[in-house]
Amino acid sequence: MAQHRAPSKHVGTWIVITVLLAAALIGTLWVPFYNHLTPALGGFPFFYWYQLLWVPIVAILAAAAYLLSRLAQRGNAASAQSQEYDRREAG
Amino acid sequence: MSGNAVALTIVIVMFVAVTLVGFAAARWRQAEDRLHLNEWGLGGRGFGIFITWFLLGGDIYTAYTFIAVPALVYGVGALGFFAVPYTIIVFPIVFVFAPRLWSVSRVHGYVTPADFVRGRYGSHGLALAVAVTGILATMPYIALQLVGIQAVLTVLGVHGDWPLIIAFVVLAGYTWVSGLRAPALIAFIKDTLIYLMIIVAILYIPARLGGWSHIFSTAGTHLAQINPKTGKPFGSLTVGPTAVWAYSSLALGSALALFMYPHAVTGVLASRRRYAIRFNTAILPAYTLMLGFVALLGYMALAAPGVPQAVKAHGANAQLAVPFLFQKMFPPWFAGVAYSAIIIGALVPAAIMSIAAANLFTRNIYKEYFNPDATPAQQTRVAQTVSLIVKLGALIFVLALSKTFSINLQLLGGIWILQTFPAIVIGLYTRWFHHWALLAGWAVAMAYGTIVAYSTPAPGVPGSHFGASTATVPVFNHTVYIALTALVINLVVAAVLTGVFRLAKLPAGVDETLPGHYHADPPGLRRPRVPITRLTVSSPDPGGQPPVRHGP
Repeated sequence: MAQHRAPSKHVGTWIVITVLLAAALIGTLWVPFYNHLTPALGGFPFFYWYQLLWVPIVAILAAAAYLLSRLAQRGNAASAQSQEYDRREAG
Repeated sequence: MSGNAVALTIVIVMFVAVTLVGFAAARWRQAEDRLHLNEWGLGGRGFGIFITWFLLGGDIYTAYTFIAVPALVYGVGALGFFAVPYTIIVFPIVFVFAPRLWSVSRVHGYVTPADFVRGRYGSHGLALAVAVTGILATMPYIALQLVGIQAVLTVLGVHGDWPLIIAFVVLAGYTWVSGLRAPALIAFIKDTLIYLMIIVAILYIPARLGGWSHIFSTAGTHLAQINPKTGKPFGSLTVGPTAVWAYSSLALGSALALFMYPHAVTGVLASRRRYAIRFNTAILPAYTLMLGFVALLGYMALAAPGVPQAVKAHGANAQLAVPFLFQKMFPPWFAGVAYSAIIIGALVPAAIMSIAAANLFTRNIYKEYFNPDATPAQQTRVAQTVSLIVKLGALIFVLALSKTFSINLQLLGGIWILQTFPAIVIGLYTRWFHHWALLAGWAVAMAYGTIVAYSTPAPGVPGSHFGASTATVPVFNHTVYIALTALVINLVVAAVLTGVFRLAKLPAGVDETLPGHYHADPPGLRRPRVPITRLTVSSPDPGGQPPVRHGP
């Protein structure tokens, strides 16, 4: 992830983002969590509704991560990177 | 008119409508320098959040997905549902690396992933490996879009090769004229139809079949029957104890591989701003929800009276399960709408894939090895021609060779494309790996993956080839997605050789990128936004100049 450019005040933000995103990987890839039929919900065995439920969850996690990343970037708004890019374009 | 005739009429009407939109797209959001490859091949790099959503969704959820995922669920049950965790975790992964790829590509004008590898490592060989892998993996993928169309046509009772040939000639026509703008615009129609199809299907079909519980229990009974070939049940509603690793490794391996495909990278690079990509990882899961329900169509097909019998009567081809389900469940006119969704769902990705493969050939083979001084206009002309050849190749592939051959090659394509992951994604973070070590890792993993896939027999058919995408890993003793095992071997070889090459002080090549380039967020290249209403304008631009645009 992009920690190495983040000034120290944003390291915390990027850790939170990492945790949010990693949660989705662990929650869906660890099959023993959900490899059973009960409890069923609305006729759907657990295996199916659990994984389908992760779809809106990942959307919310990604949205939160997006907002946090924008927040971290706003702190860097006039940072060296964009100046460097401008220099490159000018040169 | 018979039911099939009604459905077919609707399919034809929709196809004509899409064709008109495809040609009209050439005038959409047009730029001054229309002969630049940025224009034809990346839609001017000017797509915002909304269009990027449609483009990526239209791009990565292909007709083959709509046919093959439910077919797998129909055939083996829960294991086929891996497509859901796969398309869930792909978004956190994209969130992390895609903005870096976008930034560095925007700063340096890279059009393809191989362009980036070339710039990052200063290595022609590694860039060529990435380009060739991308083209090889994409071609059977395009061919499989045709297989998806064929499944629909078979159920409609349309025989012969001519409908496929017509579809591809027309597709080739508007891709030539409009470039990436055609599939981007048609994606609006495709996705509207797909969402309509799936919403109606999940509300209407379970009501007719006696509810979800009944669907799952009937499907479970069907899957529990003994497969005479293997002497074991066909499948089950949960993942069997021996298939747990297969399930998660298929999900992880496929998710890592998806955005290595050139057509997915094209969708990312066509975005106008950096944040549009991350924003999209929060809204693209809408497609995953749709895919989850599409997968469950496989169970509906098992539970629908007459569908398993019809599939059996057609050589037990599970790919026909969903088209037959629509035929038996929907009134003919809506079956026609659903079939149109699948067919248009094949045309959009086929167009983007052929453009992406053409970009790769033009930038990384033609310009690199044949005509280093190619002007942008020449590059665009070459890309147009190559996209034509690629589509023609896919057509010949499907018509002349067996369908199984395309499916096997696509399985191989998935294994191959993941082997470009170290060069591309790890390259976005570190230059630690030596480019020759990456090339060696790639070569070993390609060979390993190909050999293992070839020697994996289908269940119950000893001596057959390309029987499954998973194989038992020695020592570890679990069944794992071959692509992921190959990736591990790839990384180990690359890491060990990097150590060796560094000790030997081999030259590391020139890196033209700087750390700041991976975070750069330059605003859109140019041009004010063109309102979409411009589409309806049919008069030709005077002298090929875009009309003056006034503010709102």
